[in-house]
Amino acid sequence: MELIKNIFINIGTINRRWIFLIVGLSVLLPLLFPIKIPIQPTLHSQQVYNALKNLEPNSNILLSFEYGPSTKPEIHPMAIGVLRLLFKNEHNVYAMALWPDGLFMSQDAFKQVAKDEFNKKYGVDYVNLGFKPGNEAVVKGVASDIRKLYTVDSQGTLVKDIEMMKDIQNINDFDFVFSFSAGYPGSKEWLQFATDPHNIPLSTGCTSIQVTEILPYVENEQILGVLAGMPGAAEFENLIGETGSATGLMAAQSFAHIIIILFIILGNLTYYFTRKKGRKY
Amino acid sequence: MSNIEIIGAWISVLFTLSILSYLYKDNPFYKSAEHIFVGVSAGYWASTFFWTQVYPNLFGRLWPASQMNSSDSFLLTLWYFPYHVIRNLTTLFGLAKNDIFPVTGIESGFEEISFSYLIPFFLGMFMLMRLIKKLSWLARWAIAYTVGMAAGLRFYGFLSSDIVEQIRGSTIDLSVGPIEIINSLILIFGTLTGLLYFFFSRKDTGLISKFSKIGIYFLMISFGASFGFAVMGRISLLIGRFNSLIEYNGKEYYYSSLWILVFMIVTLAYWGFKNNDKHEPAN
Repeated sequence: MELIKNIFINIGTINRRWIFLIVGLSVLLPLLFPIKIPIQPTLHSQQVYNALKNLEPNSNILLSFEYGPSTKPEIHPMAIGVLRLLFKNEHNVYAMALWPDGLFMSQDAFKQVAKDEFNKKYGVDYVNLGFKPGNEAVVKGVASDIRKLYTVDSQGTLVKDIEMMKDIQNINDFDFVFSFSAGYPGSKEWLQFATDPHNIPLSTGCTSIQVTEILPYVENEQILGVLAGMPGAAEFENLIGETGSATGLMAAQSFAHIIIILFIILGNLTYYFTRKKGRKY
Repeated sequence: MSNIEIIGAWISVLFTLSILSYLYKDNPFYKSAEHIFVGVSAGYWASTFFWTQVYPNLFGRLWPASQMNSSDSFLLTLWYFPYHVIRNLTTLFGLAKNDIFPVTGIESGFEEISFSYLIPFFLGMFMLMRLIKKLSWLARWAIAYTVGMAAGLRFYGFLSSDIVEQIRGSTIDLSVGPIEIINSLILIFGTLTGLLYFFFSRKDTGLISKFSKIGIYFLMISFGASFGFAVMGRISLLIGRFNSLIEYNGKEYYYSSLWILVFMIVTLAYWGFKNNDKHEPAN
């Protein structure tokens, strides 16, 4: 028993760089040697899928891109998945960004899905209004009068000349809002300043770190489901029946989690024995 | 693969590995990447903010192209006079070619001049007065407006969506099954005991103390869930960077990750060796 105690106490003194290295390898190795792991959709991902799937054909959907390159691995696969489902079901897609980087993310997603995969026409099937700074003031602007806020789209075309924008005046002209959110401003601002006051359905795909903040709204049905981080993206890919980038990266995520859980257990045991030893002497 | 894409990939790999090198210890690679990131972000934000907000929404409303030559009115000529002054200053009185303030006025989709936009224009100017010591007090007006507006706006949002709707959501619906009712009761109990922990108007003794201790456990469960999701998020970011490093290590990018990694290891080893020399006590 004493030997086991000493082993644990010695583990507690190892250089933290070894821990970084092991966590790094636990991520790197599954990426270099991919393994397929089963993915089961959670209730919250299923809610998002059902909400989008049950929309009437030709609905007006507003997508808001609030993420950048740093959170791309988590949220971009969601954007790709959601766009595929929306274009497949012949909806009208309107995009905007509350983050400056969000514009580039949306352009990237539209190029891949709208142009290359579905051959959709800009201004007829989808429109990208671009970025506006102002955080919740922008959301409030969209809720009251989108024309005052956006006079030109992301390509510099006058909004009044865009065919799809003819019947769009404010948030009430949209049937659904989807926020790809990595922080502030994001889903919470859409909920507080647009969808809740105007009773418009909202779903979100957000970073893992935001999930606990969003869940109370999901449980209260103020937000219809949430795609939670990379696992949420992988689950959504599974639901729409496509294997995207998130599914391929889930093995690395799972292995890293196992390693971190082991380190937490080891760390606690080491702490327990060290504290006990300290008291003894 | 274009040369620009290859150069971009090499820069991306260099910065990624420079930031990750902090895990070894603070070093010049990390410091350089950190400073460049902060500088580029500030420049990028300033530029984006000007071109997407200040230019079309403020200048575009104050000096729209549609009104520039629509009338020969003296008042309009007077109104556009400051615009011409700004244009002359930015073009060095016609010496430099400049499309920022075109001679035809600003075309951003606005037909009418919005005189009310003089208020944000002047508030913005006041904000810049911080740079002049004697007039820096003017910046307080702009800050007061921003703080007041943000507080009012956020208060409305929180009151409606977070307080009223969340209270409504936590009420017990007796028409549902027993499991759901128990779930609702736990939710209410957790909320109340959690709130009690932050109740400082009475001494933390007796019944209040017992309930607030239960509240701590609910809070700990909540923090645990947040920590779990935070770990998941950080690992996702690491996966994203590693994925890019693997992609950029391909033949088409001339094995950028490998070459930069070797270069950094050699440089850091040399730097560490030199640094050790400096710290050695002189005999």
